[in-house]
Amino acid sequence: MNCEKIRERTADYLAGELDEESLAGMRAHLAECPHCREELEGLSVIWTKLGVLPNEEPSAALRSRFYGMLEAYKKGLKKEGEGQGAKRALSIWLGRLMPRKPAFQLGLALILMAAGLGSGFLLSVRPRSAARAEMASLRGEMDGMRRIVAISLLKQASPSDRLMGVSWSVRIDRPGDEIIAALLQTLNHDPNVNVRLAAADALYLFYDHPEVKKGLIDSLAGQTSPLVQVSLISLLVEIRERRAVEALERLIQNEKLNPKVKKLAELGLVQLS
Amino acid sequence: MDPTSDNRLMEEVRDGKVERLAILFERHHVMLFNFFLRLSGNRSVSEDLVQDVFFRILKYRDTYQGESKFAVWMYQIARNVHVDHLRKQKPEVPLDDQFEEPAADEAPAIERLTSEVDAVLLKRALDRLPLRKKEILLLSRFQEMKYREIAELLGCDIGSIKSTIHRTIRELGKIYLELQGGTSP
Repeated sequence: MNCEKIRERTADYLAGELDEESLAGMRAHLAECPHCREELEGLSVIWTKLGVLPNEEPSAALRSRFYGMLEAYKKGLKKEGEGQGAKRALSIWLGRLMPRKPAFQLGLALILMAAGLGSGFLLSVRPRSAARAEMASLRGEMDGMRRIVAISLLKQASPSDRLMGVSWSVRIDRPGDEIIAALLQTLNHDPNVNVRLAAADALYLFYDHPEVKKGLIDSLAGQTSPLVQVSLISLLVEIRERRAVEALERLIQNEKLNPKVKKLAELGLVQLS
Repeated sequence: MDPTSDNRLMEEVRDGKVERLAILFERHHVMLFNFFLRLSGNRSVSEDLVQDVFFRILKYRDTYQGESKFAVWMYQIARNVHVDHLRKQKPEVPLDDQFEEPAADEAPAIERLTSEVDAVLLKRALDRLPLRKKEILLLSRFQEMKYREIAELLGCDIGSIKSTIHRTIRELGKIYLELQGGTSP
């Protein structure tokens, strides 16, 4: 290998893309050529230094702006799609119906007018129900998107992202098993107290979901932070969950329990029984 | 094909499941933000540009072919967004002012040895590179793109990308040394 070849392969060398054979050839040349050796060493130093330049985190606003845009775009798309589809169908349909002769056209117009007046009167209730169905389907789709967003945020490394994940999940009308499971997972295992607290509050909003009550009760035994314990006890009392009695009794027996939490748990027991 | 691969997700976005873009956003927005940050030196501008990239992805989703890697297509859009941004900016702001120069000179002497200053110097050196060279270097070193993909993105042959990388690193090293000489006691 000569100096020219070394120069050609430098970029691949830096990126670690050279195979064994080329590497060996390069090493052999470098051992003999101090000029190439010196140059490659200098370039490697800069390349390595570049590699440790830290990445910066964008502000939280970027994420909320993106999701705002996505939601708006989806809404716009839905409207546009329906408008265009309906228009095209209508024009094809009318095109087929229209008679060729003007006299028949006039007759058809009169018949249609009469039919329109009559059916307009008869069907005056229908548009409202159609609009309701459309709203329901739109809501369903928005829910789907919020679910994806919430789940992906709950898996992020930064606590503020996960907090945002919890707040997205609160905006879901029908959370479904996946969201409930993710929130329970967060409540039980998130290392950050604030995120756990937010998850408990979010779950409270979904307490009519069958898994939630059981999840909140089971969670009480595993929590170590007094803040989360207090929050869970008041939630259980609030939703009048009698099955919680056992969990509260067990909690009170824990000797390491914070005295204030113990007092609250005892008070809760009285309220529940 | 892996159902969660970038390309598969983008095909779904193209075919109407636009909410799948959320996953692509989560995967790429930090990298993209840092790409713009290293080009512009300005955080809020960089956030605007990231938002613009994802907006254009939605707007032009019909044109996505799926032949090349999604990242190649995304950085094609990112480069256009950046060029448009420079064009809009030019009449108002002279080129030198586009960069918020970090205040390296104010750092106390004792800190000059730390890697922090090292990083500041290197960033300043990067800012002195011509745009095209800087872009190629950023794409290969920070955006995890292969030379082959960069060549595809810029529409040139892989050989010229490799030699540009070589020359750019050499140039960067020279500027870096000059800056170091300029600030040492």
